[in-house]
Amino acid sequence: MSGAPARSMLRSPFILTVGTVLTWFIAAFLVWPNANVLIETFFPDGSFSGRAAEKLFSSQRAMKSLGNSFLLAVALSVTVNVVGIFIVLVTHYFRIRGSRILFLGYATTFIYGGIVLAAGYKFIYGDKGIVTAFLLNVVPGLDPGWFSGFFAVLAVMTFATTTNHMLFVANALKGVDYQTIEAAKNLGASTWTILRRIVLPMLKPTLFAVTILSFLTGLGALSAPQVLGGRDFQTITPMILTFTNSPTSRDLAALLAVILGAATILMLAVMSRLEKGGTYFSVSKVSSALQKQKITNPAANIAVHAAAYLLFAVYTLPVILIVLFSFADGAAIQTGRLSVDSLTLDNYVRVLTQASGLRPFVISVIYSALAAVIAVGGLLLVARILQKHRNWVTALFEYLLHIPWILPSALLALGLIISYDHPNPLVGGAVLTGTTVILLIAFITVKIPFTLRMLKASFASVNSSLEEAAAIMGAKTLYVFRRVLLPLVLPAAAAIAALNFNSMLDDYDTAIFLAHPLVQPLGLVIKANTDGAEGVDGVASTFVYTVLLMVITGVTMYLVYGRSGRRRGSKGGKPRGPLAAPGTAAPAASPVVDVRDAQASAPVRVP
Amino acid sequence: MIRLDNIEVSFGDFIAIPQLDLHVEPGEFFTLLGPSGCGKTTALRTLAGFIEPSAGTVHVDGKNVTRLPSDKRQVGMVFQNYALFPSMSVRENIAFGLRVRKEKSADSDRLVRDIAHRVELSDEQLDKNVAELSGGQQQRVAVARALVLRPKILLLDEPLSNLDAKLRHQLRQQLKDLQSEFGITTVYVTHDQDEALAMSDRVAVFNKGVVEQVGTPQEIYDHAATEFVCNFIGDSSALTPEFVAELNRLSGAGLSTAANSYLRVEKASLTPTATGGTAAGGAAVGLSGKVVSRTYHGLHSRYVVRSHGADIRLLVREDGVVHPEAGAPATVYVQPGHVLQYHPDTGAALAAQNRAAQDQAAQSRAAALP
Amino acid sequence: MQKFKTLVAAAVAVTLLAGCGAGSAAPEASGSSSPAAASGDTLVVYTNSNGEGRGEWLTQKAAEAGFKIEIVGAGGADATNKLIAEKNNPIADVAFGLNNMYFVQIKAADAIEAYEPAWAAEVDASLGDGDDEKAYWPLVKQAILLGYNSDKITPEQAPKDWTDLWSKDEFKTRYERVTGLGTATAQLVFAGILSRYKDESGELGISDGGWKQVEQYFQNGSPAVAKTDLFARIASGEVDMGQMPSSIVAEREKSFKVNVETVVPSVGVPLAVEQVALVKGTDKKEQAQKFIDWFGSAEVQGEWAQQFNSMPANKVAAAKAKPEVLEFFDGLKQQDIDWNFVQENMGSWVEKIELEYMT
Repeated sequence: MSGAPARSMLRSPFILTVGTVLTWFIAAFLVWPNANVLIETFFPDGSFSGRAAEKLFSSQRAMKSLGNSFLLAVALSVTVNVVGIFIVLVTHYFRIRGSRILFLGYATTFIYGGIVLAAGYKFIYGDKGIVTAFLLNVVPGLDPGWFSGFFAVLAVMTFATTTNHMLFVANALKGVDYQTIEAAKNLGASTWTILRRIVLPMLKPTLFAVTILSFLTGLGALSAPQVLGGRDFQTITPMILTFTNSPTSRDLAALLAVILGAATILMLAVMSRLEKGGTYFSVSKVSSALQKQKITNPAANIAVHAAAYLLFAVYTLPVILIVLFSFADGAAIQTGRLSVDSLTLDNYVRVLTQASGLRPFVISVIYSALAAVIAVGGLLLVARILQKHRNWVTALFEYLLHIPWILPSALLALGLIISYDHPNPLVGGAVLTGTTVILLIAFITVKIPFTLRMLKASFASVNSSLEEAAAIMGAKTLYVFRRVLLPLVLPAAAAIAALNFNSMLDDYDTAIFLAHPLVQPLGLVIKANTDGAEGVDGVASTFVYTVLLMVITGVTMYLVYGRSGRRRGSKGGKPRGPLAAPGTAAPAASPVVDVRDAQASAPVRVP
Repeated sequence: MIRLDNIEVSFGDFIAIPQLDLHVEPGEFFTLLGPSGCGKTTALRTLAGFIEPSAGTVHVDGKNVTRLPSDKRQVGMVFQNYALFPSMSVRENIAFGLRVRKEKSADSDRLVRDIAHRVELSDEQLDKNVAELSGGQQQRVAVARALVLRPKILLLDEPLSNLDAKLRHQLRQQLKDLQSEFGITTVYVTHDQDEALAMSDRVAVFNKGVVEQVGTPQEIYDHAATEFVCNFIGDSSALTPEFVAELNRLSGAGLSTAANSYLRVEKASLTPTATGGTAAGGAAVGLSGKVVSRTYHGLHSRYVVRSHGADIRLLVREDGVVHPEAGAPATVYVQPGHVLQYHPDTGAALAAQNRAAQDQAAQSRAAALP
Repeated sequence: MQKFKTLVAAAVAVTLLAGCGAGSAAPEASGSSSPAAASGDTLVVYTNSNGEGRGEWLTQKAAEAGFKIEIVGAGGADATNKLIAEKNNPIADVAFGLNNMYFVQIKAADAIEAYEPAWAAEVDASLGDGDDEKAYWPLVKQAILLGYNSDKITPEQAPKDWTDLWSKDEFKTRYERVTGLGTATAQLVFAGILSRYKDESGELGISDGGWKQVEQYFQNGSPAVAKTDLFARIASGEVDMGQMPSSIVAEREKSFKVNVETVVPSVGVPLAVEQVALVKGTDKKEQAQKFIDWFGSAEVQGEWAQQFNSMPANKVAAAKAKPEVLEFFDGLKQQDIDWNFVQENMGSWVEKIELEYMT
């Protein structure tokens, strides 16, 4: 292990302070509650019960679902990379006509997901979908239910989860020194060789990071298998949720969660190892901005254009249909038949004029924003320390901070309740249940692993001599952090915060356990309004809420990404949005910014 | 060996190079020199095939390569930051072009070892990661990578600009030695006049996309063809019309007083003999003035002497003789032939024999100036 | 430090949020304008029966009667878990809508308190808490039915019982089967089927024959599709029959333009009874009791029945139920189910079914 030994860390009062607060937080909100819930489930009477394992391993369905979840996770790790790299290349690397439009199409996954996304795909490829109708004309013998099972789930989830590629890989790509590409060209390398031997190896660290996320997504798949998996391809998450909600079967849920969690940690460890061996720091002090590459082979060019636009259609059609169907009545949505005269504003009027009105939106926005800002703000310091000091202590802390990835959020919420429904010295003798703070704590903890990983990566790309330069001028640690490091990672932090914010807006699993009854976030209201058992308008409301959420998340992404991207672009430099920085997940990104700006003024660099 | 004819390069509305003609002879070390943004790198990249000119042709070894991609031009290039592939070892970097060409691996190994030996990279260094090498070693890898394909031309894009002064001097020599050893036609881009003068067989001085002058280092130094070249290369003092008029009066030379006039620092003296020699510039005449400042440099002192409104900068060897201090009166000795004169509108050099003839015209024009 | 400061700031913000939230909710609920005091005397009511306008209707009516209430909606299982989880520091004052199965769990966890409402005499006590110390009381009767598309299937052709679905070839592919046992309706269907095979010596109190039925149920049938209503599937012809609670039939028929008839097996149909209870440890006990007295009264239950096509458990209120509802329940044979037996075993049954039979 490189970096400072554990003992030297203890000499810094700054690290000691952060460390103390962190230790308290981890102990109080990560370890204690989850240990409680695990002990309660596995040691119901104080002695270990092997019942859960016995039950699970003898259940064919559980084993098959578990297998399916793993299969999906592994397959998704591959397919998301294939599709994700492709869309990143056509929007950022190759010269493709209309790449801006393509980008917007591919970016639709930023703003929606979940069950509605799966439903959107079903409208198109399901047995009554337009594509199926078309295919039936072409291939008369086709089974109208062709779009189901493993293949359908994999396809939908692949297209739905390329968000991370669009954010992080695209940015890492921007950090590739264009001169290396020119050098390779000069040496006779083909477009394909350059991609394979020069560009992709530089993206490796980022690809590892997003692969972990894809793997996790596959492992936790819920709505796509439910909607499209059919009889043969169901995954484990629905079973975990069912068992979590049944007090007598909670041990099964916990065991399944621990199995998935162990797999996650294993994946994390493997990827960390791979990452260590394959991180390439750019050797150049000056790098030049990437220029888009023309695909010289005309046949390949046409093929890539065709594939890009086909994917564009795949990405955008569901969104368009969801927006359209949000104006249709519940029966039309359920039967998948749309007619122009059935489109009204009724759904929106109903959703927006109900007694609670816009209040849940406001509550969710405040909760999500607070949680996003606190998680990112707090972890900024932690991530820096973990990234800078590598020893067994920081490694331990890092693994502890990943606990929320191991347990499903419902169990996390239960753990908090069990631990803090009575005065507890860990939180100064306060009772947390029934307060508005407990949900905030849950929101923050759930977002810790993702935030930490992404922040750490963005710190990795910060030139350490900057920090040393400031320190040598007498600046205190915190001052250096605030004035030197923070501005550098702030764009990344803002982007991570925005992603966190978006993902918590419609949370249900945690809120249902922890929300204060008078301060109910959106997820609960959506659930109440959309549960199939509670009325036909419910499904229509789901669509309305989805569209409204798309608007909120779209605005968030615009505020963080779109606006600043343009502002920077107008400065004469290369438009390098803040999402740039999470891509600093790739330490390969060029650390020197000012040189680049200087170069941008030279006519040579003007494309 | 290389011929650029009527090259025009534009980026959208911006014309980076309006019209460029260059000829580079075989085996020559040819330098494109100019300040940043002058178009020198654009010219090099046009030659390399990374930029397609909007007009004109590029010939390499008699073959028109204007529309050929970079790798079909038989040019090797060393980039400003060397552009080494960080994901590969030194050996893989050097062998990259060979692998792309699908050379047999035995041949490839031999060629890599051979070239590595010639640029003095050890076998041990071949297996290192490029990030582990020093700047100088990285440069040698970049050169080896470019040369292993046996290109007809080697292009070097400011390869020394990111290095510290000492290393720069050392590598400058190394590059020059490598070039002479391989005898390869080399086009070198730099903004450092020192480098250009020391390394080149010939230099083309660029300004705003236009070649101001092509010549040997001595030509461009001693006979800067334009006012820009004169100012960009070397160190000189601007002369006032009064000073020139006094010089004419004392020496009888027919220097134009309306032209922009300069004198190289080393061509002025405080003693009549110091610039003696063969007196190519004619007999030195002394102009009276006053020492404004003196800075001591050990080997020599730099003086600024004000004379007839002009601040004449000059060097005085510290040879143990007592020299005047600031504030003291002094006489500046100048040979009229060393005065460089440029047309105030075009910036073109005024040839000595034309000066008298042009004097009249220039004078009337200068009179018309506000 | 920074983290701690932001945490404190956030806590303050959330507290403010709570304050203003309660403030803005109060006028909506009562029309009165005393926002500051609102959270102090607002009754928090947990229910799974707030959909389709029920929550708003009740809030409004309660306000007219002088109760400020805040409805917290959650599914049956979620609400149950929440009540149990919060038992040491209860947030809710009243819970209603959950059926006996859920309330038995809640009571076993000691999260509700015995109370005899003013209208106790007007309901059939056997529909509620079976213990002597009665904690939950019946409000609304709900029949769990097997419905079929009567446009396609005549009453003669229709199945006569659940077991026909998998034992007769013509139904094997035509019924929708559940893909999860998370809902109360699904659990009650299985309670109805398994109760018939009670066998002390069998696994989990059920004979092998009973488990065979479950196995058959899942081997046949068309799996339910997430977010696609059974009535939508009936309308599109994908399936012809499936499980449904009685209260939704009329409305869904209208929405999806289908006609559905229901099957009454010879053993009768399982009856789910929605209950109401006082949450243990509430600091607004007196007011909560008053609310229960008001809500369960013949008058309010009668209006509720009028409004939402329900069948009140309150005998006096039953007179005000819609005639077709009354008629339906009048001729309905209730299946005799040993609820204590069901409640004791349901958790294990669900687990066994999820693990072994569901595909």
